[in-house]
Amino acid sequence: MRKLKLSAPFRGALLIATCGALLASCATTPPPCISPQTKNLNHAVEDVKSNLRGGACAAHFDRYYDELLSIAEGDPKAENKRIFSEFLVWSSDAGLLSQRQARDYYNRYFNVKFTSMQGDYNNCSHTCPRRDRVMLNMERELSDKERGLLKVSLDNDGYYRADELYQEVELVLEATCTACNAVR
Amino acid sequence: MNVFRTRLPARLLPAGHPIALHRLAGLSFIISLLFSVQAFASTDSPTIRLFPTTVVEDLRQTSSVAKEMETGLQEVIGRLDQQQQLYQESKCDGAEDDPGCQRLAKQLGATYLDMLGIMEERLPDMEHTVNNTRLSLEKRLRSELGNKMTPWTLQETLLGGNPQETSAPSPTMRGRSGMRLSERFKQYYQLVASSSSQTDQSLAVLASDIYLDMEETSELIARTREEIARATLVEQLNQSFGTITPEMMEIVGGVKSILFGDETSPMQIAGPPPGSIEQAYRSPLEN
Repeated sequence: MRKLKLSAPFRGALLIATCGALLASCATTPPPCISPQTKNLNHAVEDVKSNLRGGACAAHFDRYYDELLSIAEGDPKAENKRIFSEFLVWSSDAGLLSQRQARDYYNRYFNVKFTSMQGDYNNCSHTCPRRDRVMLNMERELSDKERGLLKVSLDNDGYYRADELYQEVELVLEATCTACNAVR
Repeated sequence: MNVFRTRLPARLLPAGHPIALHRLAGLSFIISLLFSVQAFASTDSPTIRLFPTTVVEDLRQTSSVAKEMETGLQEVIGRLDQQQQLYQESKCDGAEDDPGCQRLAKQLGATYLDMLGIMEERLPDMEHTVNNTRLSLEKRLRSELGNKMTPWTLQETLLGGNPQETSAPSPTMRGRSGMRLSERFKQYYQLVASSSSQTDQSLAVLASDIYLDMEETSELIARTREEIARATLVEQLNQSFGTITPEMMEIVGGVKSILFGDETSPMQIAGPPPGSIEQAYRSPLEN
């Protein structure tokens, strides 16, 4: 059997072409956007930041935020609030989030006030017509606050107040909307 | 015909029903507390005016009418209770043909008629004052919380200025929790008395709670007035036959719960205990 013998210049060209093809394929493969592998929140935040830099993994922001919350739940402490705040400020500065988005991400989980109860118009005209939806959104947000305030930050007082605020809003809106709708 | 027999949701119950009576009985206590609230409010000049003098005056009026009704009913209710006890102790259940039991049943029925009579006499006044109060509060709520506030400002009002300041005690039970009216208002009073910085917040909740109770009370009074004539006629017929009806027994049972407390009130589940975080972190992202 005759062996196929290639000349040295031809072999060199083949090698270059192969490497070129490999490099080209690397450039088009999306980055893996892997999840943080550590259980340390600070380290996990750094991992996430390095993945988010450049914006290729920006679409995974929600997942990363959720994963960071889960990691923080494993080591709950008051300081976690600050870590999340700084991460969101960084995300905003890096252009991953708008200022408003960053605020909403933070306040939804770590503030007593409800981001789902906002609006520029008065309650009679704006809130009352959609009261059921507002209350449903607040209920969902309360569950996120339970996670952020209670399970991540150990801020029992804050969660307790948020829960109370939810009940007060429910009562006051019922009365106010009844008064708004009364045609006597 | 059993006017008071069927168990309905609270909103649909006739005012002669124990729950309705219960609400009416609590009104005078509400009013006395509100005068205290007004006193606290005036010292701190709240930015929202939910209890101006007109509303307070309506409440004062409601208070005195409710008090009169309570006083009148209390005596007849006491008699009903005694007569019912006597009826049971005499083992009249199942011995309706016994002449002695028939006489007792007639006496009990007559007292029941007395109660209906007192209610019939007092209810128009009661209805008038409750409606006045309800309408005054309705106007204030619509104006102060409905038209002058956005959802966000309402939230800030309820939080009482500083959302991080959670050291002031506040009641676990709030709103229309089903607890005794007097107990609920006692807690409102404690809330208002505990911190002057929470005045607006407390007043908004208090006004809402009173307004919704007045709404319900007003409906119950209207329904009762419709039913009393019928109930009276039915009882007059029963008098002819000398029978004791189940609704009378139910009323007497309800009366006990009004006077001596409702032991079957559901217990409230407390929220998580306040934590002990020394210094709360405040993010620059916070609203």
